[in-house]
Amino acid sequence: MIEPSLGAPLDVHRATVLPEWIDWNGHMNVGFYVVAFDKATDTLCNQFGVSWEYTRDKIGMTFVIEAHVTYDREVKQGDPLRIATQILDHDAKRVHYIHMMYHATEGYLAATNELMLMNIDYASRRAAPWPEWAMARIEQMAAAHRSLPRPPQAGRLIGIKRK
Amino acid sequence: MSVILPYEMPPLATEAPLDIHRSNVLPEWVDWNGHMNVAFYVLAFDQASGAFMRNMGLGRHYVDGRHGMTFVLETHVTYDREMKDGAPMRFTTQLLDRDAKRVHLFHEMYHAEQGYLAATNETIVMNIDFASRRSAPWPKQAAERLERVWDAHQPLPRPAKAGRMMGLRKK
Repeated sequence: MIEPSLGAPLDVHRATVLPEWIDWNGHMNVGFYVVAFDKATDTLCNQFGVSWEYTRDKIGMTFVIEAHVTYDREVKQGDPLRIATQILDHDAKRVHYIHMMYHATEGYLAATNELMLMNIDYASRRAAPWPEWAMARIEQMAAAHRSLPRPPQAGRLIGIKRK
Repeated sequence: MSVILPYEMPPLATEAPLDIHRSNVLPEWVDWNGHMNVAFYVLAFDQASGAFMRNMGLGRHYVDGRHGMTFVLETHVTYDREMKDGAPMRFTTQLLDRDAKRVHLFHEMYHAEQGYLAATNETIVMNIDFASRRSAPWPKQAAERLERVWDAHQPLPRPAKAGRMMGLRKK
């Protein structure tokens, strides 16, 4: 297991927009923003020590139970992405967090993804408490993120706003 | 000023909710947990939004003819149950709100044979001018069709999972 990164926010995930992520509008398709964000969730889970090996060794899994995405600006094929992650809340079985996707060289915010992630027991495929090592790491990272301001994109309701 | 589209409109479905889109979970949508990955639910729902737009007269011709495009601005998904490789999906779509440039849609994804609710997706889609890539009013025919669908969907109750805000509810 790697040592968790205690920078606030977590800012280690990098990616590039792949050709197969582009749709007929000539930009990254809405579904593939979530593919890119889900890989940043893998990076987060790796910090907790509950990533690929956790499932390969049939200990447990992590399931997303709810997601909210804001699409703020287009990104094109080959664009470099930087995804930063802030833990907003957590309990014995869940972590509530938000990813912010930036164009890595131009710096603009491209999208945000607020998520609720749940720990799952491998055998029963049902919700279960975080393993002890993951809980300790979540607590450490949540403490490091506590001083961050809450992003305005968190906790949004969807609707057509009228002036 | 709204665009008048030069091509013929398809027949308009006014059933409430719209219940026309079907698809299947593809092998490449399945992740290491052995089920459809979260991102591909969004891709599957985006195709259901595409079906809604085709019903508005805004299908492939709309983009290929360089008249306009539709962009998703925001989306909210609840993941209610797992879907496995090959599972058949049935989508229903309710129009919750609309204005001159936007629609607010609510999709439900069901397992087409077993009948269970797999996920929901609430989404805002905006009309975009092709040349400027900026928001623009719906084309004339689409605006008229949207009003007919709006009238047809008025009697539907508001879905319980619409308008959700995320958070850990403390007991």
